[in-house]
Parts: sequence; structure tokens; C-alpha cells
Amino acid sequence: MDTARILVVDDDREIAGAIEKLLLMEGYDVIKTYNGMEALDALVANQVQLIILDIMMPKLDGLSTMMKIRSDRNIPIILLSAKSEDSDKILGLSMGADDYVTKPFNPQELVARVRSQLRRYLQLGDMHNANSSAKIIVGGLCLDTEKAELYVDGEPVKLTAKEFKIMEFLMRNAGCVFSAEQIYERVWQEIAYSVENTVMVHIRRIREKIEINPREPKYLKVVWGIGYKIEKV
Amino acid sequence: MATKLRKFSRSRLSKFIAFSLTVVLITASMVMMNLIYDSEVNPEVLFVENYVQSETFVYGKLSRAVRDVINHFVNDTESIKPEPEYLYYITDGEKAKYNAGLDDILEHEKYLYLYENEQWSYGENTYKNVQSYVHDEFTLYLVFTEEYMGQMQMQWEQEKAWLLPIAVSIVIAVVFSLLCIIYLIAVTGRKAEDDEVHLSPYTDRIYSDIQLGVFILVLLMWYFGIEGFLRRFRYSERTDILSMYQYFVLIMTGILTAITTIVCGIILLSLVRKLKAGRLLKHSLIYSVFSGISNFIRSFFDDSRFTHFPLTKSLNRRQVIFTVASGAMVFFTFLFMLASRNIFVWMLPVLFEGIIIFWYFNENNKTFEKINQGFQASLKEQMKSERMKVDLITNVSHDLKTPLTSIISYVDLLSKEDLPESARDYVSILAEKSGRLKNIVSDLFDLAKSTSGNLPLDMERIDIRRLIEQTLGDMEDDIEKSGIRIKTTLTDVPIYIYSDGKKLYRVFQNIIGNALKYSLQGTRVFIDMDVEDNIVNITVKNTASYDMDFTAEDVLQRFSRGDKSRSTEGSGLGLSIAESFTWACGGSFKVEIDGDQFKVKLGFPVVG
Repeated sequence: MDTARILVVDDDREIAGAIEKLLLMEGYDVIKTYNGMEALDALVANQVQLIILDIMMPKLDGLSTMMKIRSDRNIPIILLSAKSEDSDKILGLSMGADDYVTKPFNPQELVARVRSQLRRYLQLGDMHNANSSAKIIVGGLCLDTEKAELYVDGEPVKLTAKEFKIMEFLMRNAGCVFSAEQIYERVWQEIAYSVENTVMVHIRRIREKIEINPREPKYLKVVWGIGYKIEKV
Repeated sequence: MATKLRKFSRSRLSKFIAFSLTVVLITASMVMMNLIYDSEVNPEVLFVENYVQSETFVYGKLSRAVRDVINHFVNDTESIKPEPEYLYYITDGEKAKYNAGLDDILEHEKYLYLYENEQWSYGENTYKNVQSYVHDEFTLYLVFTEEYMGQMQMQWEQEKAWLLPIAVSIVIAVVFSLLCIIYLIAVTGRKAEDDEVHLSPYTDRIYSDIQLGVFILVLLMWYFGIEGFLRRFRYSERTDILSMYQYFVLIMTGILTAITTIVCGIILLSLVRKLKAGRLLKHSLIYSVFSGISNFIRSFFDDSRFTHFPLTKSLNRRQVIFTVASGAMVFFTFLFMLASRNIFVWMLPVLFEGIIIFWYFNENNKTFEKINQGFQASLKEQMKSERMKVDLITNVSHDLKTPLTSIISYVDLLSKEDLPESARDYVSILAEKSGRLKNIVSDLFDLAKSTSGNLPLDMERIDIRRLIEQTLGDMEDDIEKSGIRIKTTLTDVPIYIYSDGKKLYRVFQNIIGNALKYSLQGTRVFIDMDVEDNIVNITVKNTASYDMDFTAEDVLQRFSRGDKSRSTEGSGLGLSIAESFTWACGGSFKVEIDGDQFKVKLGFPVVG
């Protein structure tokens, strides 16, 4: 299985066409459909490894389509929507989407997300097979404490010692918010004094390494006015 | 068959014929009655066979004869005038009066009337019912000769022969006219086509009471016309030939009766039609006048007079009426107290006042209820329009973003094509501008949402000092790139406020980004923070790199850009978004311009 097959669902034919070409350039196999019903039919007839799904569509909207797919399949789904509200994103992700991309999207970013989702989906088995206490897994992140390596969707990421320690601390406590002082004291083992900037800069660097779009981080999030956390997926 | 009959009976022609027939018959019978009246023929001839049995004879001739004889005797006059056509003999035992000897009288015993020993006795042929006031001890013989009575009987029969056909025709005419009238009453207002009552557009327009008045007036005129006016022309002496006068009278009677019958007939039928339609009473002048007056009076007290007024105005009017009426009632109470000692008279205005108060409160309640309903409706309307605004923003956003997605995607695809150098430049410009358009659209909707009050907020307790530090850390790259240094004077302790951190991050990002963009090279941006009266004030100051020829208000205008060149990146909405987000997050936002100093002042209430 060299080329992954991707199902693109969007009622706007031009957008669907653009995505198809983008993905073809990247060497993927693409099936285009223009509404939820067609998408479900296409899924029956074809073996598909990833779905890019628009939310606002006639006949059967993206969320309903996704629920139908999710009832018996575990294929990664990237939602595509003009709805950019946080609440929309949370709704989409909580209903089973693996990623949420807002229109208008950066084509390169979409491609990167597709790649990352596919990698994760196709290699997920390996990660679980190598299940050991030395590994901390949060979503697509996998931190190997023994090898001191971090994998994002199966891809190894190079981190500095301090960055690795920050990630280890945050991933062990995924979902919890820590202030800059707390992080500093744990990682640097020193008394924190006016360290906000130092920690923030590290966080930003890590984000640039592990996030596809550092401006809209998926894992490492700043809780403004409070601290930092790794999102528990 | 039935429908055919109905069609015929309800046709105009048959109605007209019936009406004409009625007029003719009534007129004819009237003329004939007049003829009888004029001829002075005694109608009794129709009912009594023999003259001697007739009341005309008994109460007329006979009674008068007895009275005349007694008067003659009592008053002791010379003789009875005019010369009596009968023979009599009267005596009280002492004196006697007579115009014939007793023997002569007793010869004609066929028509003999004898009063003796206070009682009457009669001849064999006489009608035994003389009622005359004879109360003394008279002996009275009164006799009519057979010759005379035979003559009278002949005349009686002659009259009967003349009168009977006329009387019969009168009866027939009356019966027929009555039948016609009944028929007309039954069919008037009905048409052959349907069973509805059709009112005539002409006669039925006249008010019922006016019609009734005319009806009575015409009847009176007819009556007095015949009785008074025409009587003068009556010929008093009986003759067999009709005189000119009698002709005149008969013709006039006929004309008068015909006119009366026509007018009264029309009115009667009109009234019947109205009765059938159930509008007899309603369609009368009196009813109209009274209902008009009562409506007018009522309109002051119910709302109908004010229906076209705004509710508050009607409230006001009612208040005026209430005040004036109450004042009048107080005045009347005093007046009545002075005028009368009767407690019930005093109570009268009080009672009225009670009614007025009841009316006032009742109607006001209704008005308030209406106002309330209107208020509810407008609230609902407002909520609906608010929801529509949200929908509009969502839809427009979707409609703008979808084509923009295509543009960006295809520009990206285009940039991957093998293009000549100049085309590559164009594509890069397209890519840059479409990216900027994306930012503008995104900012625009953020602004639209927050200014329309539809910004979803995630309020929590946050440390504003930490937020500023985080923002600065986040923007470190931009700060370094700009070459502007930032000098912060923050508090030593955390300052907690209740707000949406993500939105506030946008606020500070925009303000600081703005300061970096428009600061004079080599100058510093100052971020100061202090707490005063439980309000945390944050000031971001920078020295403008250009001449600020605008006011603080201008800056916040949407799309306003400090320098009027709009070539650089950014949507021009940064400060507007910062302002409206700040207000949405519960803070205050102020811009001050002091020479080259550009200051943004933020204030938030501190929580524990």
C-alpha cells in the first residue's frame, strides 16, 4: 500500500478540485464527492485512509456524515469549515474529528495536516505494539523517556534538553495548567523569579517544532493569564 | 310545478296586477259606499224583510210618534207638527187628545199600539218591542194605516232591490282586495330566483317611522277629505237622478281613495319587507338618532374614540376626562348638598363618581395590557432581529470565506506551476493580497460579532500581569524584528481580573503590534500598570513615527489607519477590535494623543 487514498467531500466543486490537485501533487489517491450521501456511498465502494469533510453541505451535513462514518469506522477525518468559532472546533473535535481546519485555509498547512494524520493512522499500530511504561502518549505525541525522544505522528522531533523536560513534565500531567514559575522550578530546579519570558520563549520554540500551525496550536497551548498545558486528546 | 308556481307568483307582473287590482277594488268599493251613503238608503233593508219589524220603524218612526203624542198631550199643544201619518188617541181619564176617533183607530187594528194600565199591547201584525218612556197612567192608542204601511213596505223593498247588488259587489270587492293584500304581503320582497328578502332601493331607504307617519297622515287626509271637504258638496235631498255635485263627489272620492290606497299600499308593503328582513325597528329615524347619540356618548367611555390614537395619548385623554368628570361630580355633590336635604340626592354624584372610577381603572387596565403586549412583541422582535443578525454574520462569513478559499487554493496551485518570471511575480502578489484579504475578512467578522454583542466569551479568573508577560513572550520575534524596545513597569504581585484570556491576548497583541508598527525608530514602547481604587490601569505608550493629524476618535473608526497610506499589511481593524473586545470582556478602553505620544489606556476591575 504505497499510496493512501483520500476522500474529499465539499459541496463547492472548485474547492474540492483544488484540494484534489494539491493532494495529487503530494502523490495521494483522491476521490471527490459533493455531499454527505455521496461520501457514504463512496466509502462503501472504496478503501479510504483519510477523509476531508466540509461541514456546511446540502442533503447531509458534515457532522451528520461524520457520525455515520464513526459508527463503524476509525478512519481519520479532517473537518473543513468556514465556521471559525472555538465552540465549532470543540464541537467538531468532540464528535470524533481528528482535526479541524477553518476556511480559508493555507494549502500547505492542509497538506501537512493530512500527512500527519495519515502517518499517525498508518503507524499507530506500531506505537501501540511497543507499549511500555517508558512511553507517554498524548494524541499524536509520543514521548519516549528512555530514548529521550519525542515523536509527533510517528515522526521524531529534535528537542533540547530543557525543551524535552518541559514536554515530559507537561505530558505527564496532560490537561493540567501550570504557571511559568511551576514549570521553571520543576525543569530548572531553581527558584523562579521573573521567569515568564524565559518559559514563554521555550514554549514557543517547542510549538514551532511540534505544531503544524504554531499560531493555532493543537497540543501545546497557552492558557492566557494563567499558564501552559498539553491538551489532553 | 311548485317552482313554476313560485316563479309566477313572485313575478313582477303578477305583483303589479295584484296591486292594481287592490287599488281598483278598494276604490270601487269606496265609491260604492259613498254612493250608498249619498243615496241615504237605510242599510237595514238588507237584513230585515218587513218594514214594520225594522229598527228604522220601531226606534225611528214609532218611538218618535209615541214621544210626539205624549209631548203633545203633556204640553197641551194645539196639534202635532208636522202632520202625523198615523192616527192616535190619548187620554188620562180626564182629558183626551186625538186626531181620529177611537172607532176609526180600532178599525186599523193590524198596526195598533195600545198602552194601557202601564203596559203595552199590540195589534196582530206589530213588532212587539216598543220601548218608550211612558210612565203615567195614560191610555194611548196609536195606529198606522195599512195604506201607509203598505206604501212604506213597497219603498223598503225597492230600496233593497237597489242596494243589494251594490252591497254584494262591495263585499266581493273587499274580500278580493283583502286576498290581494294578503298575497302581496306574502310575496313582497321575494324574488323568483332565491329565497332572500330583497329590499327595494327606493322606498325602503326611507326610515320606518317616517313611512308610518306618512301612512297615518295620508289616511287622515283621506278621511278628512271625504268627511269634511267633500261633505260640503253633498247634495242633501234624495233624488233618483244623480246631480252634478254627486258626480263630482263620487269622482273626487274615487281619486282620493285611489291615491291613498296606492301610497298606503306602497308604504305597507315596504314595512312588511323590512319586517321580513328584520330591519323594521333598526331602520327607523328614532333608532338611528338614539343609537347615534348612545354611540357618541359611549365612545367617550370605551376606547373606540381613541383607537387611532397612540396608546399613551389615549391614556392622557382618558385622564383628562376622568379629572374633569370627577371635578364635576365633586361640584355637583356640593351643589346637591346645598340644594337638598335628601341623602339619596347627595349619593347620586357619588354613585356616578364610582362608575367613572370603575370605568377609568377598567379602561386603563386594558390600555396597560395593550402596552404590555406591544412591549412583549417588540422584545420578541428584537430578539428575532438579533438572531437574524447572528445568522447574517454567519452566512455572509460563509459566503465570503468559501470563494476566498478557492482563490487561495488555486493561487497556491498556480505558484507550483512552471511559470515565466513575470507571472511568478504576479502570483506572489496574488498570494500576498489574498492572504491579507483573509485576515481582513477574519478581523471583520470578529469585529462584527463583538459589536453586535454576539461574541462568545469564556470568562475566568486570570492574572493580567502574567497575560501581558505571556503576550510579550509570544511576540518576542516581532519585537526583535521591529527594533523597538519595550519597557514594562508591571506590579510586583499578580493582579487578578475576571475576563476572557484569549480575547484579552488579542487585545494586547493588537495594541502592542500597533505600537511596534507605528513607533519612531530608536524610541521605546512603555507598558505601565497600576492599581487604583480596585481598578487595574494598563497604559501602552509609544512615540509615533509620523505626524498624527487625527483625533483619538478617528483612530477607533473602523478601517481608520493612522497614516493614510494603506499599503502595509493588516486590516486596519486592529484597534477597533481591541476596543470592542475590551468592552466585551468587561474593561474600558481609551485612546489619548498627546503631541507625538500615542497612548492606549485600559482599565479592568480587580477581583480578589
